[in-house]
Amino acid sequence: MARQQGWFALVLALAIAAAALLFTSPLQLGLDLRGGSQITVEVQPAGEIKRVGPEQMEAVKLVLDRRVNGLGVAESTLQTVGENQLVLQLPGEQDPSRAARILGSTALLEFRALKPGAEQDFQSLRELRSQTQAILRLREDQAKRGELSDQSGLDLEELAEAQKLFGLEGASGTETEQLEQLLAKVNDSIVELYEPAALTGKDLVTAGRQPLQSNPNSWEVTLGFNNAGAEAFAELTKSIAGTGRLLGIVLDGRSISEATVGPQFKTAGISGGSASISGNFTAEEARELEVQLRGGSLPLPVKVLEVRTIGPTLGAENIRRSLVAALSGLALVAVFMVVAYRLPGVVAVLALSLYALFNLAVYALIPVTLTLPGIAGFILSIGMAVDANVLIFERIKDELRSGNTLIRSIDTGFSEAFSSIVDGHLTTLISCSALFFLGTGLVKGFAATLGIGVLLSLFTALTCTRTLLRFLMSYAALRKPLNFLPLRQLPSPSV
Amino acid sequence: MVASSSASATPSGLIPAWPLSSMRVRVWIVSGVVVLLSLIGLGLSWADASIGAPLRPGLDFTGGTQIQLERQCGETCGELRALEVSEQLRGLELPEEPGELLPNLSSPRVQLLDGGTSLLLRLPTLSAAQGQAVIEGVTSVAGPFIAGGQSVETIGPSLGGQLLRSSLISLLVAFGGIATYITIRYDRRYAFLALVALAHDVLIVCGVFAWLGLLVQLEVDSLFAVALLTIAGYSVNDTVVVFDRIRERSRQNAELSLSQQVDLAVSATLTRTLYTSGTTLMPLLALIFFGGSTLYWFAIALALGVIVGSWSSIALAPSLLTLWEPSRD
Repeated sequence: MARQQGWFALVLALAIAAAALLFTSPLQLGLDLRGGSQITVEVQPAGEIKRVGPEQMEAVKLVLDRRVNGLGVAESTLQTVGENQLVLQLPGEQDPSRAARILGSTALLEFRALKPGAEQDFQSLRELRSQTQAILRLREDQAKRGELSDQSGLDLEELAEAQKLFGLEGASGTETEQLEQLLAKVNDSIVELYEPAALTGKDLVTAGRQPLQSNPNSWEVTLGFNNAGAEAFAELTKSIAGTGRLLGIVLDGRSISEATVGPQFKTAGISGGSASISGNFTAEEARELEVQLRGGSLPLPVKVLEVRTIGPTLGAENIRRSLVAALSGLALVAVFMVVAYRLPGVVAVLALSLYALFNLAVYALIPVTLTLPGIAGFILSIGMAVDANVLIFERIKDELRSGNTLIRSIDTGFSEAFSSIVDGHLTTLISCSALFFLGTGLVKGFAATLGIGVLLSLFTALTCTRTLLRFLMSYAALRKPLNFLPLRQLPSPSV
Repeated sequence: MVASSSASATPSGLIPAWPLSSMRVRVWIVSGVVVLLSLIGLGLSWADASIGAPLRPGLDFTGGTQIQLERQCGETCGELRALEVSEQLRGLELPEEPGELLPNLSSPRVQLLDGGTSLLLRLPTLSAAQGQAVIEGVTSVAGPFIAGGQSVETIGPSLGGQLLRSSLISLLVAFGGIATYITIRYDRRYAFLALVALAHDVLIVCGVFAWLGLLVQLEVDSLFAVALLTIAGYSVNDTVVVFDRIRERSRQNAELSLSQQVDLAVSATLTRTLYTSGTTLMPLLALIFFGGSTLYWFAIALALGVIVGSWSSIALAPSLLTLWEPSRD
């Protein structure tokens, strides 16, 4: 008797601990339940690196980690998946395009001087560029307002000529498409007018941003270099000061800003190791650039494979629905068990409630991020947890029918059911572990929740059900076979 | 208390409630016909030019963009037909992305979910701006939409291939592990039959979904892959319990023929199998009726698997075991 009470106390203590744990550390909900964005990127081999190995992944992850932190989303996670993929989760983020842009671009920053004698070409290309950009912007505005007029007020003839110059006459596509092609060509040509990079983002130590004094709506990005960078920057500015040659700031192969260096820097160049980029940025653009530059440039290019965004109310709806399903499913099972098995059925319902409680506590403890398929796995594992109880109770019934005493029937029932419970659970566990260690994504999460469920079901069936049943049997009033079997199924009238 | 007598000695304990071996040919015919129908469904999908695979692959495997929108439905929300939305999508002009071909919206797949209150669009891969344009474009026919109730998923096709590969590998390893375990605990016949039952269950569920793909254009996604893996686990679990009883019976009643042992064992576990399938089905049915659209087909696949799995463990696998019986004439 004392032993029974000891076990009972243990089960009770575990239940209290589990409940306390659930109160203090809430369950982690997946993005499909709380809303947010998930971005999967693949790191691609480039240049001399033919295969992406763990070292490269680590290096890319480091840079992306810094950039993600710069995004300022709380509780974001960045995980390596498989050999060459990274999954970024941004809870609550509803604009995944911004994050994808920041993650996806290489942010290779270069400072280059214009080639001697290229000033003339540069001027005309720059004009063409601003003109093309202006038309594109206008068209965009018009498209937004839904009015498409030809009254752009810009010199379209000149543009047509420019298209011819770049071999784009007769190019296919809509007007916008043609303009974009032209802009890309112009950008390429501008970069070609520069000498190779004298200084890159490698020597960058800080990046910041501030609004321009002249125009608070336009922002500039400020840069700070290390010693080597400061020296290179001074050298570069010295060589072009007062010559009219421009200093180009090239990001990812595109010139984003050009600056003149005044003759006063002729002797020593711009020293002190700081510079600023003013490329007509909006506050948001300046912030993105700052984040990218702070994170450094990616050692390898990445490709965005998948972007998922779930709105917060859709997530809440998903939770509500699976909760309704889980609770109504459980209620059905509970009613069934009590009707089919009487007193043991009540015990099973208690044991199953404990099972559900322990399960959730383990999710909070490990922690398991609960997703929609995870909830389905949980609901399913409840169904399977019932199986162990059914196996035991069927055996108890068998024993009672063949005329054994109640206490003996219970003991035999447990020991007889033991081997099939263990076999059934172990085979499921074998497939769970195969799925967990070899599967990816959804499959892995599902295998984890189902595996935890199987282990706990083994525990609750063999200890909780048994302990509760034995505890109840210590009360003489409950020690009646009638509580286990309908009268007609008993072999003969019993005490 | 009456003097107890052992179960195996009472005559009533030896009359099987479910004389399986006398109906084994009928069992095989039923399973055979259903498996054959499944194979035909899988074959037809493969032959179908618009599918070209045993099952109609969904977005997760082909890549593309899926947009789900929740309508702000009140009195103002009129009737909506999927056709109107796809018409609207066809005429939509998308913003362009430099260096990318413009996605072709000529055959959008539009589905109304949850009684027309939400909208599911399956489209070719779209950029964020293009996705936004689509949402704005359909607002005029189906809107307004609840701001927080939308989901946009863009998936590259390589992920689907990866999922398929890793699922197949892990499934094969799981098979191997289970077969080894059963061989050690029982013997090779049991291991082989457990895998036959498993293949039978998985094949039939796939077959039903192949037919659904042909008839109502149902697509399978990665959740379906998860469902298949679960069915595989459930199937073996279910079968092993019956085998455990057969083995026990063969020890207790070695004098009986294998057919008789099988009949007795299956009868003894019949209630358990039906109860367990029932209690597993209950939450699944709740999921089907109350769980909403996301898990609807997932729950249906699982429910189907549970039903087929019970059949294979109380009828198919044990009746096949009797094939090993030495002939008595």
